[in-house]
Amino acid sequence: MAEKAAEFNPEVFKKTSDEKMSARLKMWLEMCAHCGLCADTCHYYLANEQDPKMMPAYKAKKVLDAIKKKGKIDEATLNSLYETVYGECTMCRRCTMFCPFGIDVASIISMARGLCVSQGKVPENLVKVIENYFAHGNQMALTQEDWIETLKWMEEELQEELPGATIPIDKKGANLLYTVNAREPKFYPMDIAHAVRVFHIAGEDWTMSSKGWDDTNLAMFAGDLKSAAYVSQLVRDAAEELEVKRVAITE
Amino acid sequence: MNLYELLRGPLLWLSFGVFLGGMVVRLALFVATSRKKDKPIYRFWSWKWLWLSIVHWIVPVNVTAKKNPIVTIVGFLFHICLLVTPLFLLAHGVLWYESWEISWWSLSEKVADYMTLVAIGCGLFFLVRRMVAPHVRVITTAADYVLLAVTLAPFVTGYLAYHQYFDYYTVMILHMIFGELMLVVIPFTKLSHFLMFFVSRAVTGMEFGRRDAPSW
Ligand code: HEM
Ligand code: SF4
Ligand code: SF4
Repeated sequence: MAEKAAEFNPEVFKKTSDEKMSARLKMWLEMCAHCGLCADTCHYYLANEQDPKMMPAYKAKKVLDAIKKKGKIDEATLNSLYETVYGECTMCRRCTMFCPFGIDVASIISMARGLCVSQGKVPENLVKVIENYFAHGNQMALTQEDWIETLKWMEEELQEELPGATIPIDKKGANLLYTVNAREPKFYPMDIAHAVRVFHIAGEDWTMSSKGWDDTNLAMFAGDLKSAAYVSQLVRDAAEELEVKRVAITE
Repeated sequence: MNLYELLRGPLLWLSFGVFLGGMVVRLALFVATSRKKDKPIYRFWSWKWLWLSIVHWIVPVNVTAKKNPIVTIVGFLFHICLLVTPLFLLAHGVLWYESWEISWWSLSEKVADYMTLVAIGCGLFFLVRRMVAPHVRVITTAADYVLLAVTLAPFVTGYLAYHQYFDYYTVMILHMIFGELMLVVIPFTKLSHFLMFFVSRAVTGMEFGRRDAPSW
């Protein structure tokens, strides 16, 4: 995995882990019975010929071991932690459903991703994408013109097949605000047309927004909760400004 | 004061104190920290999901019971014997009565004897499983072995004492030491799960529940 140059800093590591250590995370890290019942519930474990190192509690233990050293870890340990938390868990929470205590390994991994961020260890593409949210309000760095143009284009295409079908933009007080993954306007605009078709035929009172329309939140994947809050707020702001009743997100 | 009296008196008080006090502190710390750092718990509080989550795991009606019936059965037998035997043992009841003049129902000596063997047997199952199953071995630390030993030791020594194998007085002293040791380590180790189980199940049950997803 490509990554930003590391800025290894034990004090920051310790400070970040103290900050991020919530009551639940602490409880989970301490209480795991090491019973192994979560092993064969993880797709990484199953897809890697039942490699014990892919079992959820092992990954959580790796995080705990790193935190216990209070930041006094070496580069190799940090690198191996980085590989585990980015490369060996999709934070799907399936293991949680099978753990007798309901230990949320995904939250532990997310926290450790945040620890890696504090050391400048983030996959390079993810850094770029997070910057895009701040600069353009969406992960693909689409400008507002591009976005509106794509919607207009889809509307025209659709009207050939379904006369009267429209894509309402910034309609106040609609029942539903439909948000999409920014990859759709960028690479698969037809996906938007499919949804419009459904809304049109169902007679839904809906709208799309000229801003705050990207419902992905890749900052969350980086355990970068401050940025993640900013990204979620974009959609929330749009919904509040348009006074819609609900927000629907793309599949 | 001889060793027996010491273990029967002040040290027993001390170990009950550490056990109860330790758990109260743990709970208090959880509440205090969570109010600041785990706000979703309170924001999405739901008695319904809290109880459903606990009930489905305190009786084995869940995905893991179906997927791993053997570990589930052994685990339940282990824990039932672990909790019921010491609380309802006639000999323990006599001690409570001597000290406080309180008494409650007790197991017949024969049943208690069998339950002790079941607890030890299930413990050995977990020991062997820990040593041979790669996915359990990989997460096993020295503490796991020590805690399993600390949990089983009161049962082994209790069994030996009841049957008067070896020197009764020595075995009984060991039994008391191990029993008190187990109480003392509970708040500071993974054995705290006897209480945190409920907390963890509750918060996870509500976290899944707020998305209408059962956590069992
Ligand atoms: C003081 C009381 C308790 C003690 C001393 C105790 C002790 C233990 C020990 C030693 C293990 C680890 C077994 C191994 O090495 O694999 C264990 C596992 C476990 N305990 Fe407890 N336990 C207690 C109470 C409870 C309670 C009240 C619950 C839940 C209602 C519980 C749920 C579990 C579960 C789910 C596991 C892991 C699953 C398994 O391996 O069966 N325990 N306990
Ligand atoms: S949350 Fe992570 S560890 Fe747990 S099952 Fe999903 S991928 Fe595996
Ligand atoms: S099932 Fe839960 S308690 Fe058991 S090893 Fe996995 S995370 Fe730990």
